Amino acid sequence: MTFDVSLIVDALPKMLVGIGLTFQLLVLSAILGLILAIGLMLMRISGKWYLSWPAQVYIYVFRGTPILVQIFIVYYGFPQLGFIRDGVLWPLFRDPFGCAIVALTLNTGAYVSEILRGGVLGVDRGILEAGSALGLSVRQKFIYLTTPIAARLALPAYGNDIISLLKSTALASTITLADMTGIARTLVAQTYAPYEIFISLAIVYMILTWILQKSLGRVERYLGRYMQK
Amino acid sequence: MTERILIKMQHVDKFFGTFQALKDINLEVSKGERVVVCGPSGSGKSTMIRCINRLEKHNAGQIIIDGKELTDQVADINAVRREVGMVFQSFNLFPHMTILKNLMLAQRLVRKIPKAQAQATAMEYLERVKIPEQADKYPIQLSGGQQQRVAIARALCMKPEIILFDEPTSALDPEMINEVLEVMTDLARDGMTMICVTHEMGFARSVADRVIFMDAGEIVEEAPPEAFFKAPKNERTKKFLSQILTH
Amino acid sequence: MDALTGWWDDFFWGSVVVGQVFLCSLVLMVIFGLIGAAAKLSNSVIAQKLASGYTIVFRGTPEILVILLLYFGSAIAITSIAQIFNPEIKFLDVPPFWAGTIAIALIVGSYATETFRGAFLGVNPGSIEAARALGMSTLQTFVYVRIPEMWRLALPAFGNHMLSLVKDTALISIIGLNETLFVAKQAIGTTGQPFVMYIVVGLIYLGFSTVITLTVMGLERYGQRHMRAHR
Repeated sequence: MTFDVSLIVDALPKMLVGIGLTFQLLVLSAILGLILAIGLMLMRISGKWYLSWPAQVYIYVFRGTPILVQIFIVYYGFPQLGFIRDGVLWPLFRDPFGCAIVALTLNTGAYVSEILRGGVLGVDRGILEAGSALGLSVRQKFIYLTTPIAARLALPAYGNDIISLLKSTALASTITLADMTGIARTLVAQTYAPYEIFISLAIVYMILTWILQKSLGRVERYLGRYMQK
Repeated sequence: MTERILIKMQHVDKFFGTFQALKDINLEVSKGERVVVCGPSGSGKSTMIRCINRLEKHNAGQIIIDGKELTDQVADINAVRREVGMVFQSFNLFPHMTILKNLMLAQRLVRKIPKAQAQATAMEYLERVKIPEQADKYPIQLSGGQQQRVAIARALCMKPEIILFDEPTSALDPEMINEVLEVMTDLARDGMTMICVTHEMGFARSVADRVIFMDAGEIVEEAPPEAFFKAPKNERTKKFLSQILTH
Repeated sequence: MDALTGWWDDFFWGSVVVGQVFLCSLVLMVIFGLIGAAAKLSNSVIAQKLASGYTIVFRGTPEILVILLLYFGSAIAITSIAQIFNPEIKFLDVPPFWAGTIAIALIVGSYATETFRGAFLGVNPGSIEAARALGMSTLQTFVYVRIPEMWRLALPAFGNHMLSLVKDTALISIIGLNETLFVAKQAIGTTGQPFVMYIVVGLIYLGFSTVITLTVMGLERYGQRHMRAHR
């Protein structure tokens, strides 16, 4: 069993063609997921049962089922439903890219909303009381006090979720998308060389992860600058 | 001349679940008065003053601030909080803002004061508490005593009618207590109306117009400091004083 | 809905497979995690570096990739090794069950390494000092003071690891493991009802998640029974 370096040299550029798709999946799902997460979190902490309850159920379902199943339900399952086929969003659901974005967004939204909620709950109550004592309204306290502090608290966990999201984009390969993993699998099927191809792909993902972690570390340090004595 | 009655509490009760924290509290504080509240832990002192700015909601009785009754109406509560300042045991400075921003935030958001004026006011009160050079630092960089003085300045920036102090020196290292008490004494001398929950009996003696002793949710005794410390009338007061004044 | 008749059996056995994978990978995950944590906490620089490498590799690589690599890679490795002994052998397969189970155990184990390490360090040093001052040996201190506290600290994160294991099982269907998602694919082949079938799979996994979550909640409550002040 030999390790064919020339194979890696050949395969790597081909796989890196898929990096564009990987990034699109990552960035779009992250942004849309964050928006969804903020909405869910606000519903969750609203105190009104008709908002909090649906949010809790949603989060429970999407965190309790495998993301692969969610992707399959959207990509394979939705076309079975008449109102999806006839609906205005059909072009979105017919396209594997659209389905992947939808599934990844819905999934990461659930996780991130809990992360944001953890941040909000972690804000020292005394600080909010001081805000109240000074006469700040509920809205003012949330914007000027809760949000900045919660963002800093939530960042480590949020960073981890972004990295998870990067890894989840690889599952797009299961619904015919030619991201890096999709291309890799095709190559392996052609060349019967799983070691060279998959290991080099793994290294690419590890490098991407490393870049993400360094960037997040920088953001963490910026947000935490008031914590340095 | 009848002084303006700023705080009037009538037959106030407060429950936490089944536990009664305040029992039939009756209290009047006029403008210019300095009131000190003392008593053992769990006696309800903090709860009482926290009801005044509605950080706690009273369950029975009336609380009337400067003629307006405290209710659940948001407008009422915010009107009260503008005029009633509070200094907390754990300072509660906003950690993510500089000292200056800490002092300016409420001025701009609540009193809608423009930035330049708010900043000028902030610097004025920072000088009053004797730490103007800390303006651009973050709270974490200041000592406990400095942080509490900033907290006092922050309350003062809102130009309140009365300031409530909730055990302002209890969380401080001993060597820093004096710097805070000095600031509070200066304030009192300048005529600031205040209700101060504290264990610092020296402060009570020198500054207070009235000392109130609370125990188990009730106001047990009320008297000017001379009478209070020299000739307490109630048995419970005597017991408390003997416990804290012997060492 | 009648599309499901005839498939309930298969879904049941698929669920059994999920359960089997869960139990096996759970044991392995704990082992990998403890070894990793021990290595990181040890004084040996080599051990620390190896453990670091372990966590970096398995936390930075997509799970599906690890599964594919382990499955195809190990098949080739085992085939090559077997061919040394018997050149007639064309291709030896590693059962997807084991390739998949070991893969997800390695992945979640890399997260568990951090969890166990954090829990170990999180034990109140005062408790340890007190135990030693009372004359307890290192081993006794470890068993009676350190482990109970560690367990309580690690529990919430450990619960999440268990949930990850269950959900990652679905990925093993990609290499042919006949768990529920795999069954669903076959069912769709004959019934043409993808939505229904995948929803069933989702519900089955939701069921597993619920059982795990409730168990962890119960264990947390049990572990904190000494923390609730009784008046």
